[in-house]
Amino acid sequence: MINRKDKWFLSTAMLAVLCLAVLFLPGCWNNRDLTEINIVTALGIERSEDGKILVTIQVVEPAAIQSTASGKGKGGGAQPKPVFVLSYEGETVFDALRSMLSQVDKRLFLTTAQVLILGERLSKEGIVEVLDFFQRDHEVNYEMDVLIARDVTPAELLEIENDIDPIPAMYIKKTVENTVSRAKVKRTILIDLIKELSKSGRQPVLGQIAKAGKKVVRTEGTAAFKNGKLIGWLDPYATRGFLFATGKVKSTIVNIPADGGKISMEVIRSNGNVDVKLKNGKPVKLIVKVNLEANIGEYEGERKKVSPDYLHKLEKIFGEEIKKEIGRAINLAQKKYSSDIFGFGEQLHKFHPHYWKKVENNWDDVFSNLPAEIIVNAKIRRTGFIKNPIMKER
Amino acid sequence: MENVKISGIQLFLLIIGFLFGSTSILTPVASAKNDAWLAVIIGGLGGACLVWMYVAIAVLNPSKTLVEILRNRFGKYLGNAIAILYIWYIVHFSALTFRNFGEFIVTVTYPETPMVVIIGIFAALLVYAVNSGIEVVSRSSELFVPLLFVIIIIISLSLITTHDFTAFLPLLENGIKPVLHAAFEFATFPLGEIFVFLMVFPHFNKKINNLKKIAAFSVIIFILLYLWSIFEYLFVLGKDLLYRANFVPHIIASLIPNSNLEPLIDIYLIIGGGVKISICIYAAAKALSQVFGISDYRKLVTAVTTFSVVLSVWVYENLLEMVEFAQKVWPYYSIPFQIVIPLILLLSSYRAKTD
Repeated sequence: MINRKDKWFLSTAMLAVLCLAVLFLPGCWNNRDLTEINIVTALGIERSEDGKILVTIQVVEPAAIQSTASGKGKGGGAQPKPVFVLSYEGETVFDALRSMLSQVDKRLFLTTAQVLILGERLSKEGIVEVLDFFQRDHEVNYEMDVLIARDVTPAELLEIENDIDPIPAMYIKKTVENTVSRAKVKRTILIDLIKELSKSGRQPVLGQIAKAGKKVVRTEGTAAFKNGKLIGWLDPYATRGFLFATGKVKSTIVNIPADGGKISMEVIRSNGNVDVKLKNGKPVKLIVKVNLEANIGEYEGERKKVSPDYLHKLEKIFGEEIKKEIGRAINLAQKKYSSDIFGFGEQLHKFHPHYWKKVENNWDDVFSNLPAEIIVNAKIRRTGFIKNPIMKER
Repeated sequence: MENVKISGIQLFLLIIGFLFGSTSILTPVASAKNDAWLAVIIGGLGGACLVWMYVAIAVLNPSKTLVEILRNRFGKYLGNAIAILYIWYIVHFSALTFRNFGEFIVTVTYPETPMVVIIGIFAALLVYAVNSGIEVVSRSSELFVPLLFVIIIIISLSLITTHDFTAFLPLLENGIKPVLHAAFEFATFPLGEIFVFLMVFPHFNKKINNLKKIAAFSVIIFILLYLWSIFEYLFVLGKDLLYRANFVPHIIASLIPNSNLEPLIDIYLIIGGGVKISICIYAAAKALSQVFGISDYRKLVTAVTTFSVVLSVWVYENLLEMVEFAQKVWPYYSIPFQIVIPLILLLSSYRAKTD
């Protein structure tokens, strides 16, 4: 039986232990507060001319963000810049990031990085090596967007000060994210890039970013890779063809010429897949199949009445238009770059592994010389709020 | 024997928690790449046979622990000698689990904290748990292990949009050999490790025949859940990353869009690892006390744990050694303990029974 004194002692001891636990339990050895880190929002990597790695970071200053938001419209007064951009040259990515601390006050916190922009020169020499750090480090966010800078260095892009969003990295990220409604740039997040780089029978493609003015960027088009090296670019229409073929289009506007005018079709649903047709154990044809549904989004033709039959006629023209875009992408991949960005080889690898073993090493040549069949099944479903263009009353 | 009883559901959850212990962070079948799922099925079948064997031994020798069975079958001296080998094996095995735990936390969650601190604090907690008795461990598993199911389901459902459902193709690209090796790995880690429960089964409070049902049920549930997880890993990461990643489940959790659910894996590990190591420590301490005729196993718990913590820090120089050991050495090292001796025990117990 515990007597009263012991009980008192026990409860005091328990309380002391609990108080001590407060000291030890909350958090880690290397605890860092928000005020002790630099919040990195974007990273740029480029290879310098002498083969070193040039890393650019964009760091956001949380206090300044608030003041720009509340200070908008007031005018006057020197406002602190919401972000700062800094470049540093090192032997490797990690080396540059750490050595950069000679110019930055607080530790760089990478988990918040939203965008990774790779330079053109670096990409031409190969991106696999620099990506190693991003897989290995425990602070890296596997979901950041990866883009290739075209005709501009990553540093120049990250220095852009934009009026729409005080943080340029967020602005860039959003412009890539909205590809779901335009399908002119391929959005690739880091983990997908890592996966694609390891696949046999598929070459990765990455979104392209360029400077469109002093304060704006443009994310349109795609960079095609071959064996981890940048090999060329797809223009926005070929990009869309590529996205249609690989089933990555969510929504987009396709213009088709008709009735002496133009019609803008709004694609609302689309799926596509690629396949290889084999005959006697040899591939004879590349097949691209796309099914899509669209609405008439804008009609600028001369016809006054839109009938169901007419919609079926339009579907044909519409399908042809999309075929053209897909054909353009396939043509570029086959003839110009000789790089299987569509993943035809992956299909072979998965479904015909025996044949794939034989052809694996020279698949690019085989791929480049195969004829392609594109099957587009387009359906026009609705016409918006109205059926016909304006008609004069009679 | 102290009068401690474990109910059916507690035993079920203990086995599940034990099996998810290190598999929550390490992927024993990863070496089979995109045929890992096949390795889980084959290894699962093999492992289920092993578990069946242990349960059959327990049923043939009701309310006897492993040490008592060994003494019964092999005589006092040989039996004690083998029991000491078993104690070494269990302590080593708990040290390896400590190390897995520590390496994971140091790599992923607290990179700058010395590993011995992490393992030490965890060990202190487990010493407390085991000292309070196996009953406390099983009651807390009743509270915590159901969380494992929740975590597995949350993680896999939140990633369903990123699945590539053909990632497991092509079948058997590198032949059947790596698959069989991975299956063997899976049978010995974690399924074969269930032999430790031979020290726990005597506390089971229901009729001994229910033991079969419970063991079969928990092993089947585990294999199905693990198969589900492996498919999820394959569909989300693809075979290359599955093969290359040190801690697959952590990468999986970090891919959940717009949220930061990696700590779920830590919870997963603390629950699974906690159950696993406490069972091991209990088994080792209990076996030791029986071999040397010490009345209360509790006197040995701290010593066993300390030894195993020290061993865990010494046992590997680096992380890759740990992975290599788990894949290449552990399965063979386990053959006598998990397969040969239990098989002899089973046969001789069976003969003794029929005679």
